[in-house]
Amino acid sequence: MLVKIKRQKDAESAPYWQTFSVDADPDMTVSALLDRLNYTDDLYDAEGVAAPRIRWECSCSQKMCGACAMVINGIPKLACAAFLRDEKGDVLTLEPLSKFPVVADLIVDRSIISENLQKAQAYLGTYRPLRKKDFEQMYAAAKCLKCGLCLEVCPNYSKGEHFFGALFANEAALLALQSKDRAKPLREAYDKHFAAGCSKALSCVGVCPMEIDTLASMARMNRSGK
Amino acid sequence: MKRVLIIGSGISGLTCAVETAMAGNCAVLVSPYPSERAQSVMAAGGINAVVPNGDNGDSIDLHVRETLDGGCRIAGERTVTGLCTDAPHILTWLEGLGVVFTRNADGSLARRAFGGQSRKRTAYAGASTGKQIVTALVQEARKWECAGRITRRLGLQFHSALIEDGVCSGALFYDETAKRLEPLYADAVVFATGGQNRLFGKTTGSALCDGYAAGQLFLQGAKLKNLEFIQYHPTTIETPQKRMLITEGARGDGGRLYYMENGRRVYFMEEKYGEKGNLMPRDIVSKCIYDAPSQVYLDIAFLGEQKIKENLREVYDLCREYLGLDVTKESIPVAPSVHFFMGGLAVDIKHRTNICNLYAVGECASIYHGANRLGGNSLLAAVYSGRVAARDIAQVSPTPSHANFESYIREQNEKLSARTATKSRFSAVYIQNDLAKIMNEDLGIVRTEEKLHDGIQNLQFYLSIVEKLKYDSEISPYQAYSLRPMLCLGLAVLTCAAERRETRGAHIRTDFPQRADNMATCTLIDYNNGAFDVTYRNEDELCW
Repeated sequence: MLVKIKRQKDAESAPYWQTFSVDADPDMTVSALLDRLNYTDDLYDAEGVAAPRIRWECSCSQKMCGACAMVINGIPKLACAAFLRDEKGDVLTLEPLSKFPVVADLIVDRSIISENLQKAQAYLGTYRPLRKKDFEQMYAAAKCLKCGLCLEVCPNYSKGEHFFGALFANEAALLALQSKDRAKPLREAYDKHFAAGCSKALSCVGVCPMEIDTLASMARMNRSGK
Repeated sequence: MKRVLIIGSGISGLTCAVETAMAGNCAVLVSPYPSERAQSVMAAGGINAVVPNGDNGDSIDLHVRETLDGGCRIAGERTVTGLCTDAPHILTWLEGLGVVFTRNADGSLARRAFGGQSRKRTAYAGASTGKQIVTALVQEARKWECAGRITRRLGLQFHSALIEDGVCSGALFYDETAKRLEPLYADAVVFATGGQNRLFGKTTGSALCDGYAAGQLFLQGAKLKNLEFIQYHPTTIETPQKRMLITEGARGDGGRLYYMENGRRVYFMEEKYGEKGNLMPRDIVSKCIYDAPSQVYLDIAFLGEQKIKENLREVYDLCREYLGLDVTKESIPVAPSVHFFMGGLAVDIKHRTNICNLYAVGECASIYHGANRLGGNSLLAAVYSGRVAARDIAQVSPTPSHANFESYIREQNEKLSARTATKSRFSAVYIQNDLAKIMNEDLGIVRTEEKLHDGIQNLQFYLSIVEKLKYDSEISPYQAYSLRPMLCLGLAVLTCAAERRETRGAHIRTDFPQRADNMATCTLIDYNNGAFDVTYRNEDELCW
């Protein structure tokens, strides 16, 4: 199959497209495909031109760490969980996430995510146990990978200057529901950095690899504020 | 106020940073990527701790005894006692940080049985315990970041430690964006860089855990320990991208291992070891699966869909997505695979290495687990070791150093520029792949003198050429400069395995199949001007 990749040597360089031809099995994921390309003896593009190895971020390769988030055939996904059998068309297109600065090829700098959580003072304070009915939702919220897919797909998120996106809404709910003394400041931060900017397009819900129900987190935050 | 440099931001690094801040000191927490990418998030099963009124008269003494027995009697009784005694406090602390542990109907923490343990003492959070702990620790660290006591530095790859006359003053890092080396100085430096997975290519763990830091520190004078003890997790599955782990929690909740013979299931672990056979220590289960005459399967279907989806949801999802297999109806084909490194940087009971001001915590440190680690003890050791190191740093005065590293840094920057200036198309990946092949084939789960010596000779050849080659500069220079230390680490592992002429725990020698009484001790290896010197010491006696 043909794989068309948006490439960029480093942060300062101009991006360019390069297409590769590769033997692929439908049960492979995009991460397995990238490994196959990178681990061949010599890498050439589809026109036979020698190509540098493809840079992409990878840690667990099994949907537990969020490293390999990228745009696959126009849709933000984790490469390790995107199976070729589910991709349509003859050409597979891979691009870096567009809302973060590119470091190299498919690697982007997502440090804004942790910077914003710090800016919003997203921490617990004094602990109080979760109510039983909140357990399942909060167990799921705590699995957030901070991969940035929900920010990539969100029509309201651009550079994270004011609106911090769905991952912040889930983090705020997880903390507020377990905090004895910080629920109020967390709710204020939620109002300022999430509720005020969310147009409820809810594209974040479908894209989340952990299937976190952001709508449920929002409901809890809205309810606890009234 | 002391400045503590912590390298690696998984559970042990995060805990060390939080504890450093709590003690009134400042932590600089450095990692190439955020904590969510650390291998800690992959730890599934649980964390061991004896709580008041625990299962069936459980006691801390019993936890100590079973940890020592599981480790085949070479871990230190004093060190393990420290670990197990603090475990209940650690569990309470984690609960207070908001870790979403699985609970019983009455609100108390749920516990599951784990391998090599006679009582249910493993607390867990579904099958994503490590991830749940990371989330809570990241939030706690954030509190201290807001207070200015923890500073995070992302995007930095470890290059080398700044050591002179046996005293460490900081470390040098490669900054990919600035494309240069940056020194960070500190009163104490803590390594929390995880295991040595990458030596073996793709393993169940994270591709980011490559063993480079251990290899580099070895070349800079740090002693390594127990390198021959590498845990093969009994139950992993093959997928097109890597081997993935099926948590021991699946057997803890009742899962059974079997193979087929003449159309009937042979529950070989139960036949050999009785009703708790599926939960023998990992070294024993792995060897039995390795010796089985045909494909081994793990059956959890009989637990029922509801229990599986409640307690083992991640196992259900993993098998469905990557194998197309429904574990509520079918058994899972499993085989052992490299999983955990009992060996690593040698540390004393305070987690100090033999180099002043230099500490190691988490999986990159070798302590507590002896020749085989019990499931549920790695998360415990990760948290405990981070606390111990931070507390020791807070209590002792750092050894002063007046060393000047400017010329060293300049020299290393020049070397780096030379690496990036080349037009060579030769990829460092070739040598990395060969290293992994040697480690898997010549070391492997079952070892012989002959194979080990083949591996040693092969690695010696690669070491003789590795610095003479120029590598493709399109890839991060980290890949190129990490090659020699990783080859040295591989050679040190093979050397320790060749020297230990007995079978103990995860070190299985077909040419020496018995345990030798005179080898009930830990292996230390030193690098002395090209020579690899092996000695043996009792873990409790290590003190620098």
